[in-house]
Amino acid sequence: MDRRKALQVLGTLSVTWTFAGCRGHQYGHVIKKDAPNMVGSHDAGAEVFDPLVDEAVMKLLGRQCIPSPDQPIGQDGMPMKKTVCFVGVENKSAEEIGDFKDQLYQQIDSKILESQTFSSVSRRMVDAALFETRLRPDSLLVPSNMQLFTQVLSRQGAPIDHLLFATLTSGTTERNSSKQRDYLLTLEMTNVHDGTYDKQSAEIRKGYHKTAVGKLWNYNPLKY
Amino acid sequence: MELQPSKILKRELARQSQHAIQRCFELLRCIVLLCIFVLPCVAGCSTHAKRLAEPRNLFYAGQMDQCREQLTKLSKSHRGDRDVAMLDLAMVDLVGGDAKQAESRLRDVRDRFEYLEQDSLTEKTLSAWTDDQMRSYAGEDYERMLVYAFLSLSNLMHDGGDAEAYSLQLNEKRAQLINAAIEKSGPEAEKAYRPVSMGDYLRGVIRESNRRDYDDAAKAYARVVEWNPEVIPFQWDLNRVRTSVHSQPGMGVIYVFALVGRGPIKVEVAEQPTSDALLIADRIVSAVGPYSLPPTLAPIKIPDIQIPAIEIDNVGVAIDQKRLGPTQCVTSVERIALDTYAANRSSIVARAVVRRVLKKASIVAAKKVAGTEGLTSFAMDAAGVAWEATESADTRCWGLLPREIQVMRIEVPAGSRNVTLHPLVRDRVSGLANTVSVHVNEGENTYVLACFPDSQTIGQIRSNR
Repeated sequence: MDRRKALQVLGTLSVTWTFAGCRGHQYGHVIKKDAPNMVGSHDAGAEVFDPLVDEAVMKLLGRQCIPSPDQPIGQDGMPMKKTVCFVGVENKSAEEIGDFKDQLYQQIDSKILESQTFSSVSRRMVDAALFETRLRPDSLLVPSNMQLFTQVLSRQGAPIDHLLFATLTSGTTERNSSKQRDYLLTLEMTNVHDGTYDKQSAEIRKGYHKTAVGKLWNYNPLKY
Repeated sequence: MELQPSKILKRELARQSQHAIQRCFELLRCIVLLCIFVLPCVAGCSTHAKRLAEPRNLFYAGQMDQCREQLTKLSKSHRGDRDVAMLDLAMVDLVGGDAKQAESRLRDVRDRFEYLEQDSLTEKTLSAWTDDQMRSYAGEDYERMLVYAFLSLSNLMHDGGDAEAYSLQLNEKRAQLINAAIEKSGPEAEKAYRPVSMGDYLRGVIRESNRRDYDDAAKAYARVVEWNPEVIPFQWDLNRVRTSVHSQPGMGVIYVFALVGRGPIKVEVAEQPTSDALLIADRIVSAVGPYSLPPTLAPIKIPDIQIPAIEIDNVGVAIDQKRLGPTQCVTSVERIALDTYAANRSSIVARAVVRRVLKKASIVAAKKVAGTEGLTSFAMDAAGVAWEATESADTRCWGLLPREIQVMRIEVPAGSRNVTLHPLVRDRVSGLANTVSVHVNEGENTYVLACFPDSQTIGQIRSNR
């Protein structure tokens, strides 16, 4: 073995050992408002939740904005805003939504406030009322509980007209290594005065595939 | 023409002196090679396990200040040990009552580990010629996960605002490590990564305490129960968040977190390469040329996980002198460390084998290049042996981890309460009890933290109130 050969052997072994790779720093950037959301590869993210909230809230509030005959009239002659107590988001889907839950709450709450016909109760007041009554959010629709809860809020200076619950559910269809998951956000609004109830859902379906061709194989645009 | 005897003598003398000079140069080259190859490795002879022994003993003797001093010194004197020394310092801070400082240190190490997880060409090359101690330490997989669990716990002990975020990050980290392990070793690798239930438990505790997100708490507790089905109190937690409320009127909740036993450390062991590892090494070597592994290999040095003897099982809890029962294991650090390390062990052995082959090949190549024989050849062989012998296993580790993280939840009337903790071995008290007075607010959580590596508590029992 000559000198060159020996160096080749050593060099090759060293390179094999090291393969390729250098450490890099992490960078961040601000995403433009009109840029599309990143699509989660394993579970739902902004690409699912944002449109779900938009659709469900807009449709529900749009339907409810028609003034009812018994709605009190303000000093300006316009019907007074209805007060909504948004109790919370319940995640009944198959996925852990992690930090998105509080994000969903804030999104829905903000949209209620943005509407011209509804106002909402501060979350801190809702928490204080839940603390005082020691009631579970899912038990508020029991008439006696609802009465107690609304009384506590009224005493705090926040009388309410409606209770609003949001529920996230999912349905999963599997086919070999591909999966379709349907996400459904349901808003349920109950009038605390007469017990009437309204509901609005929004749905987004999403496909998950283990291979790049999975999407084409299962959702071939030429097939349908 | 016939040469004069004096001329023959002169020529012979010249030839001999030239030969002697050549030998001198060869010896010099050997010494240089020896210096190049061996001396850097001599630095690797001392392992972290040896350097950690003293501060570890000081910690378990309860001499926190001296332990802190030693660890600080270690973090400065050995650059490669800095991060693990920081982890141990965080434990000293946490147990010593400075949870904020502990969180800060843990956050620094978490970010460093994130950065060091990436490959470095330089370090890989250097470690190929020396040993794994030349690499920056990015933490074993169990340590990378536990950093988040302790971040969450540290935060809970002083502020609590970020505890939930850390517990979510813990689950993300686990998923990331599982994906990496599956990519490397196939789908079976997932089994080694059991969840750090402490993260889920803390998330459940936090979500339950806001009285609004019982569904999240139920999901978190359900995962805890799934991985700890034998622990009945966790099933009570799950039932409570499914059907009841955080606490009854006039009551508050005390959570006792106990760091129980002495946790895993890494020690150096001589390993006869396993067939799996040899196969991997063979693949690496064969991929680049017609070279296969030598048929025989001397035992190589690799790190292994060692669990110290068990001197305590649980911690007994009494509130206002009324005994309530023992704490229950929510996370077995020992189990997680052993499982995840076992999943990566073959790769560590393989790396050591390739390094051994590389070193042997280097000596052979150097001898061929120098065309050495006799004494020089022997000297180079000796240098090679010394080179291999000075290699040390990378025993850097988070040395002050507990064996288990245990917990107990107690619903008590609001007000000042005396919490007494005593070490238990087989349900019998085996050491002195320690008491702390805590204030419990109605409808709120109070967190108590104690460290029981054996029958004596380390530091004081701490509470967030």
